[in-house]
Amino acid sequence: MTGPRDLNAQIESLVNRLRRRQVVGSWCVSIETAMLLRQVVSATRWNQVETLIKVVKEDVGRRLVMAQPRELAVGNIVCRVLRLIREKIRTFSFYGGSGTGTNTQSSMINLLGDGSPMGAKRASPLIISELQEMINELENTYVNIIDQAMEHIHSNEIIMTVGKSRTVEMFLKTAAKKRKFSVLVAETFPTYLGHEMALSLSEAGIDTTVISDSAIFAVMSRVNKVIMGTHAVLANGGLISVSGAQMVATAAKHHSKPVVVCTGLYKLSPLYPYDEDSFNDLVAPDPVFSFNEGDLIDKVTLLNPYYDYVSPELVSLFITNTGGHPPSYLYRLINENYDPDDTDI
Amino acid sequence: MDPVKKTAKELKAERRALQERQRAEKAARAAGNAAVPAKKPASGSGASTTVGSTSATSTTATPLSETAGSTKTTDSKQRHSLTKEINSKQVDMFSHLEITKGANTGLAPKEIHPAILVLGLQFSEFKICGANARCIAALTAFQKVIQDYKTPEGMGNAIRHLKWEISTIDIEMSDDEAKKLLCEKIDNFIRDSITVADRVIVEYGLQKIQDGDVILTYARSSVVQQLLLEAHTKGIKFKVIIIDSRPRLEGKKLLNCLVNAGINCTYAFLHAVGFAMRDVSKVFLGAHAFMSNGALYSRVGTAMVAMMAKEKNIPVIICCETYKFTDKVQLDSFVMNEQGNPNDIVNISTTLAPKPGLLSEWLNKPDLKLLNLLYDLTPSKYITTVITEVGMIPCTSVPVILREYKPMVQ
Repeated sequence: MTGPRDLNAQIESLVNRLRRRQVVGSWCVSIETAMLLRQVVSATRWNQVETLIKVVKEDVGRRLVMAQPRELAVGNIVCRVLRLIREKIRTFSFYGGSGTGTNTQSSMINLLGDGSPMGAKRASPLIISELQEMINELENTYVNIIDQAMEHIHSNEIIMTVGKSRTVEMFLKTAAKKRKFSVLVAETFPTYLGHEMALSLSEAGIDTTVISDSAIFAVMSRVNKVIMGTHAVLANGGLISVSGAQMVATAAKHHSKPVVVCTGLYKLSPLYPYDEDSFNDLVAPDPVFSFNEGDLIDKVTLLNPYYDYVSPELVSLFITNTGGHPPSYLYRLINENYDPDDTDI
Repeated sequence: MDPVKKTAKELKAERRALQERQRAEKAARAAGNAAVPAKKPASGSGASTTVGSTSATSTTATPLSETAGSTKTTDSKQRHSLTKEINSKQVDMFSHLEITKGANTGLAPKEIHPAILVLGLQFSEFKICGANARCIAALTAFQKVIQDYKTPEGMGNAIRHLKWEISTIDIEMSDDEAKKLLCEKIDNFIRDSITVADRVIVEYGLQKIQDGDVILTYARSSVVQQLLLEAHTKGIKFKVIIIDSRPRLEGKKLLNCLVNAGINCTYAFLHAVGFAMRDVSKVFLGAHAFMSNGALYSRVGTAMVAMMAKEKNIPVIICCETYKFTDKVQLDSFVMNEQGNPNDIVNISTTLAPKPGLLSEWLNKPDLKLLNLLYDLTPSKYITTVITEVGMIPCTSVPVILREYKPMVQ
């Protein structure tokens, strides 16, 4: 572990906070991870880029990912940082190196391996400034998304949403400043996030109605569009979203209503869902069937999945901080932001 | 409940009042007013074939809901202001359906037979759930009314009119005989259209359950419950997944019943239906009514389950008696539905003890509304087959059955 003691302490602190779920929510987690990695990059002494990559990926990155394995945003940020590092080195070697112009990994390493401390010294601030740009982008995620609100919401529309997403909340509140529309919120039992969302929206003056999950299909014919947030976006365009989202998206598809997902790019993960269940968690069934209902508990299996996998065919549009994209475009974003070597963190 | 003895004069007034209401009811219906609270579309359509007491049902129902709004006592004053508040929070899409305000028997007119009052109370508090149970309870209550009925003197015409409403009975017949006949007719109806029909449906349904099946069902249908219990008794090895939903939580009763019989059960809520659906081989659902365009009118959430099953190409089998078939056609869940008490959504506990959640102050928030729908419509394309007592039919054959068998059902 190359780094001063307080860097160690900082890393330990974040790992512990992640493990104890004191940092929750993809956005907070992403920003904290990014800031920590910036510290790591600036504090680490490296001569060959390989060293830096090893530090970021294995020493720090892997520990962070293990602390909260279901929070895919951690892995996403680590991957992005690695990609940034490699990109910077590549362009640096291209312009400042021997001028052969080859972009291969080996030539880059060789170049820096020779004139080492010089190369590292010059590349380091560039990398750090890139990281700072990335952190700024993360902090402005919401602003960039809600700027697009006016284009997508019109007057007298009925919009359906599921669960509680900070992004969608801000999106709708921004649109409500100039447009008059109503929102149907599905209550998403057993987390009742829908109740919180409805309270918050109604306080902003939006005409909100809370419906139980069972009525989603019944009212879908009157809904104009479905806007929802998500926990993570996978490489094929599929969503890991709050439980109940699959129902809403399928019902919307059957009624041919567009499903719009508001998410920052930091939630886009290079992982592919070979198995739907690998990203899901079955949490305590107490809200479904509590202990004080007797000894029926022993004889019955209770299911309470926390997440839902929504397949990419059900999603019409992703509204991200870089604009609106269809699910079919996501592979380009993944190519630009992540390296294929890093998906095994 | 003991039948209250009435004097001849009171009975006279009672019959006159009933007559007036029926006439007004008929006039309203003739004027094309379809806004009568359709509390029991299933039992209404079934009962009209033999007993024909739909008019009696709706007329006794309207006084209950009307008088709930009157202000005779302080308690009802409170209730009145509360219902006013709830009414002002009507969801626009469903403004054509009034929210059931709950019965207040203290204000019901004295002419109503207590058995009907009890029935109304039980219905409004959902103590009796499910189309079959409600139908049987209503018919049994009518039997009581008929048994306690005493013909007042000198009202031959009115009586003739009343009897015509119920069925075509010979006027020369004595009261006792007529009563017996009517009660018998009601008994026969219950036996033929519900009890025996259920047994026949179970027989047909057993052919559809094999060893190793994983059966998914939603909320609680009495027929499906009987079918599963019978299949278990026959020794077929299968598993059941029960999907339940708020706020009614009817699936819990089914769970209790099946687990006590020893069936291997899994219990989940509607949000988990995508997750639970992957192992399922068949879906069995119950019905409240079946429309003539092949659409299923059932507990809210049924459409969702049927749609998810169809997505995964799992067969959806509906168990439905023919008395639930109706001439009506319906395209969506808006045209005819029922709104329950919105405060049921506020209570977030899943046990009997209510636990108010975040929305307990919803009445004070001007922009917040709650919608508690009770029924929804499942389009015919999601339904694979319907098991009735006349056989297994595709859902598009419902109008055919109505045409062929309606004379027999009467």
